[in-house]
Amino acid sequence: MFENFKAYLVDKSGIESSKCEALSRTVKSLDFKKGSYLLRPGEICHHTFFVEKGLLRAYTVDEQGKEHIIQFASESWLMSDRSSAYFNEPADYFIEAIEDTTVILIDKELINALSKQSESFRRHNNKLLHNHIRHLQKRINMLLGASAESRYLDFVQMHYDLTLRVPQWMIASYLGITPESLSRVRKELAKKNFKP
Amino acid sequence: MKTKKVELVVAPPAPHFVGDGFRVHNFIPGGYHLDMQRMDPFIMFDYNSKFYFPPSDQPKGVGVHPHRGFETVTIAYKGKVAHHDSAGNSGVIGEGDVQWMTAASGVLHKEYHEEHFSKEGGDFQMVQLWVNLPAAFKMSDPKYQGIKSDQMGRFQLPDDQGEVAVIAGEYMDVKGPATTFSPVQMYNVSLNKNGEAQFSFPAHYNTGLLVLEGNIMVNGSEQAETDRFVLFENEGETFTIKASEDAKILILSGEPLNEPIAAHGPFVMNYKAEILQAFEDFNLGKFGYLED
Repeated sequence: MFENFKAYLVDKSGIESSKCEALSRTVKSLDFKKGSYLLRPGEICHHTFFVEKGLLRAYTVDEQGKEHIIQFASESWLMSDRSSAYFNEPADYFIEAIEDTTVILIDKELINALSKQSESFRRHNNKLLHNHIRHLQKRINMLLGASAESRYLDFVQMHYDLTLRVPQWMIASYLGITPESLSRVRKELAKKNFKP
Repeated sequence: MKTKKVELVVAPPAPHFVGDGFRVHNFIPGGYHLDMQRMDPFIMFDYNSKFYFPPSDQPKGVGVHPHRGFETVTIAYKGKVAHHDSAGNSGVIGEGDVQWMTAASGVLHKEYHEEHFSKEGGDFQMVQLWVNLPAAFKMSDPKYQGIKSDQMGRFQLPDDQGEVAVIAGEYMDVKGPATTFSPVQMYNVSLNKNGEAQFSFPAHYNTGLLVLEGNIMVNGSEQAETDRFVLFENEGETFTIKASEDAKILILSGEPLNEPIAAHGPFVMNYKAEILQAFEDFNLGKFGYLED
């Protein structure tokens, strides 16, 4: 049984443990090596990926060929290209495994079946969706107006261990700042907070 | 005194790279029951067996990374490593030298092949150990001991059998220069062919040895070849090693701390909450700053 997926179903969504065991036999999982792609722009993918183990990033490449990271997903996070998964349109994003990763594939049918089975799952899933939108709103707001330091502090609060799992330039890309700015932010924080 | 018997002779696990400068076999925490508790206070043991690095203008190594809650001990056998940390310490160690860095409450450090060695290329052979700190010292001030080969305590074995260089602890009344936070014995032993030495540690101390060169016989019956790690039972006190050919051996023995271990990446504390605190402190710059 996938421990993180089970926790997502049982602890967070209130699905009975016995039903969960039955479910675990039917869900599909896939393993991806570091550096391999789960999705590329233009492809259609009907799944949302639940990260059981490892780390994903979703990103785009702009007209100048520069990468912009939209989201990271580590253990127990969900990642999806909604144009593709919910609107049957070609995907906008690359989704890449940046560590060896195991994902559980979630599709609309599974969500519907779980929602029918359990009212609490439906409520929880709905709450997750709103939480995702809330997070995106905050992210837009911060990209428009927050200082590099505020963006960094917000990022490490949400992803406390990613500063040790991903290279600096990826964090800078996610924050919408240059690697040099990120370096400056960290130096300033050290100046403020380091008490030798 | 009772004989301390061999529990396991471990062949080096498949190597992997740490950064691009260290090609290591990880003995601890690894398979063969060698988890963090088994050799406590030695909670991590990476061994870069003799490996040729070709010349490189860009020194290979490991970039800036944090540590908290333990000590990193690097023992150089071949090649040279340069170290810099956020506490302002730096140093270069070469053959026979030891770098003993007490990360304790937290440092950032980086380790690279020393520039000249990197340019020339050559054989590289190192051990890196993590020695756990007792709970009472995990948040103490960081410290750095760069110990040169000529500072080691040296005991000459009789009849030209070889010598015991004492890094930490004591052998035959010869003391080692490294200061430790719990009882630790660490020796580099050189034996000439047919040379023999006897060692004695309390039964409950966790004890092991690594054969860096040559071939040895332990307690007259167990053979250990180059690059083998030998784990001893926690019964009996005394064991002997005899060199079948010229040999170099690292001997480790320490009193177990027997405290809870919560470990995540570069942080080793007693409880999970302290690990989360370590991440937060690292992210907020409380470990200082070090240029890559």
